[in-house]
Amino acid sequence: MTEIVVTGMGAISSIGLTIAENLHSLKHEISGIKKAKHFKSHYSDSLVFGEIDQSDESLLNELGLEKGRGFTRTTLIAIKAFREAVANARLSPEDIASTRTAFISSSTVGGMCYTDDLYHDANMQGAPSEYVKHYEGSDHALQIVRLYGMKGITDVVNTACSSSANAIALGARLLETGKVDRVIAGGSDCLAKFTVNGFNSLRILSEEPCKPFDANREGLSLGEAAGYVVLERRADVSDTSKIQAVFSGFGICNDAFHPSATSDDARGPRMAMELALKRAELNPVDIQYINAHGTGTPNNDVTESFAFSKLFNTVPHFSSTKSYVGHTLAAAGVLEAIYSILSIQNQEVYPSLRVEEPISEFPFRPTLNYTPGVAIGHVLSNSFGFGGNCTSLIFSACI
Amino acid sequence: MYIKDLYAISPQKTHDLSFENGEWQVLNEYIYKAVEPSYQDLIPNAQLRRMGKAVRMGIGVSLPLLGRNPKPDGIIFGTANGGLEDCIKFLNQIVEYNEGTLTPTNFVQSTPNALAGQVALLSENQGYNMTHVNGSLAFESALLDASLYFDNYHGEEKNLLVGAVEEISDYNYNIDRLGERFKEELVSNVDLLGSGTKGSYCGEGSTQFYLSNNPDNSLAEFKAFKQSSYLSENEIGEFVKSFLDEQKLDTAAIDCLLLGKNGDVSTDSWYEQVEQLFSGKPKVYFKKSVGEYRTVSAFASYLAVRLLNGQAGYLIENGATEKPRTVLIYNHFDAVRHSLILLQK
Repeated sequence: MTEIVVTGMGAISSIGLTIAENLHSLKHEISGIKKAKHFKSHYSDSLVFGEIDQSDESLLNELGLEKGRGFTRTTLIAIKAFREAVANARLSPEDIASTRTAFISSSTVGGMCYTDDLYHDANMQGAPSEYVKHYEGSDHALQIVRLYGMKGITDVVNTACSSSANAIALGARLLETGKVDRVIAGGSDCLAKFTVNGFNSLRILSEEPCKPFDANREGLSLGEAAGYVVLERRADVSDTSKIQAVFSGFGICNDAFHPSATSDDARGPRMAMELALKRAELNPVDIQYINAHGTGTPNNDVTESFAFSKLFNTVPHFSSTKSYVGHTLAAAGVLEAIYSILSIQNQEVYPSLRVEEPISEFPFRPTLNYTPGVAIGHVLSNSFGFGGNCTSLIFSACI
Repeated sequence: MYIKDLYAISPQKTHDLSFENGEWQVLNEYIYKAVEPSYQDLIPNAQLRRMGKAVRMGIGVSLPLLGRNPKPDGIIFGTANGGLEDCIKFLNQIVEYNEGTLTPTNFVQSTPNALAGQVALLSENQGYNMTHVNGSLAFESALLDASLYFDNYHGEEKNLLVGAVEEISDYNYNIDRLGERFKEELVSNVDLLGSGTKGSYCGEGSTQFYLSNNPDNSLAEFKAFKQSSYLSENEIGEFVKSFLDEQKLDTAAIDCLLLGKNGDVSTDSWYEQVEQLFSGKPKVYFKKSVGEYRTVSAFASYLAVRLLNGQAGYLIENGATEKPRTVLIYNHFDAVRHSLILLQK
């Protein structure tokens, strides 16, 4: 089988504007979930968010983009993470623009992140806003394609909270089949009234910072993030020093149970993990750490734990890094993929924060503190979404 | 990828096959609304009432296709916008009730992957499941995904349900109208291409294919497809020629062209560049039938399959009635995103 490797990473989240800053926060158990500074909503005071601590104006300035040209926050954070990823992989402008380079992105809120402008335009309340041609889910990707003059295959997926995990899997398949030579894959989602009110209407938002896998968890915290990884075939990488990890496999399936909840027997999550292991030619015992989906909702954490109990004789280290950054929706899959790779590179586990009383139904508990010195060869990273979309990814140490 | 079966709900009467049998709807409207069949026998009323139009049309196409074919190994959809009506209804509630207590139905229905999820749920399909939202190339992305899926299973028969959906709501009509994508004046779809003004008319619908890697008893084959964004007008000829070269074909091998001309004087010249490459070839302008929308290339593919099987020949513009064997579709949206799809019998 063709070996796919990660040769570059870029991320922006509430715990850091770069990969290095994210790593520092992960190691020091610094959570980004707090009162929002930039995001304006009725819920700004009553709820906490994993907000990126950089304003739209500052992002526009830093990226050298003109104000008033329809760059949404989804797009701005996407460009920033994309820029870090391609620099990290040492891709030249020609490499990025090449017809042999694919770009697979994802977003859920996409261009609809400025709820009030969208309201204004959708209800025709006067002259069009600067965003009138930028509401599509794919707009952030199209802007990047334009800015970098990309001529290759582009795609944008939306499978809710598993979106960017699927973008990575799609990218790997493009490489395996030889359709392209390199892939930039990931996603971007920023905080928006639309999603906050959506999740609030489902009554699954926690007033306090979320505490995934705690017996008294009350729901999820929403966050915003963008992340991209660069994927290449190992055989094509001449400068092996830029290889960060091996992407060993993925499993994609549907729970086919309920539009917004996981089945009690967790058949979808379990099947996704089994398919990923099969594709990676690994057994459950080979996994040393699981970066769980772990949203902090009563439903997810118990069903995901149930799936662990069925799949693993001895459940390995597991944690939800959503306890640091909140649920970043479409970006969650790639952000957690990056955190999984950081775990492998540094041989350490980043914990589930704020767990006071682990879920009692199961004999295992998440990793509760930053734990260095763990031999990690293979990490399983889970992403499950509304609509029943379940995806598991496996990343491995490069040997 | 072989097409074993297909079905569509569109602004023409495709739902009962009147369209392919020669009954063509003349449309004198700003909005080309889909002709929807009765869903009574397909979807329980209580569920139907909660469904947004995109999900309803999508399921209205999926369930008949799934009913007459073996359970597919996966479900792949492309949609630029998904359930926009629900999306903006929810948005209006957010603004009008100042983010008060809202009901989640519209929110859950508005997510673009709601359709693929609902189809999986209703047909108890735990297989591969994906939704592409790549704007006006969302259907092409679904095709790419399907081809990658089949590439993994040489020698083992696999089947996929692959399709697209787009709905018109007042809101996305408003947004695209503000974006100057639609005509201000009304001409009939008969005269769409001669209107001499900017913009087009808005269409909608769902088109789906039951695809297999087994060619037995297939209706046609998706032979190849290619996409590009931000080409300049003088690059389009080269884009088409290089695609044919990759397929080891010359222009003579194409029996019929399906072109996405939509009557917009500012961007129809791109299609004319392509027509010049194939001078004198039979042509079909599919947007005269269904209008402009972001996943309309799925409908063009549907029509191509019909033509390849000797149906709907009345739509071929230059009088040639011979049954084509190789058909090329060229479509663009806003002259920004371009796609080519090659189908063969």
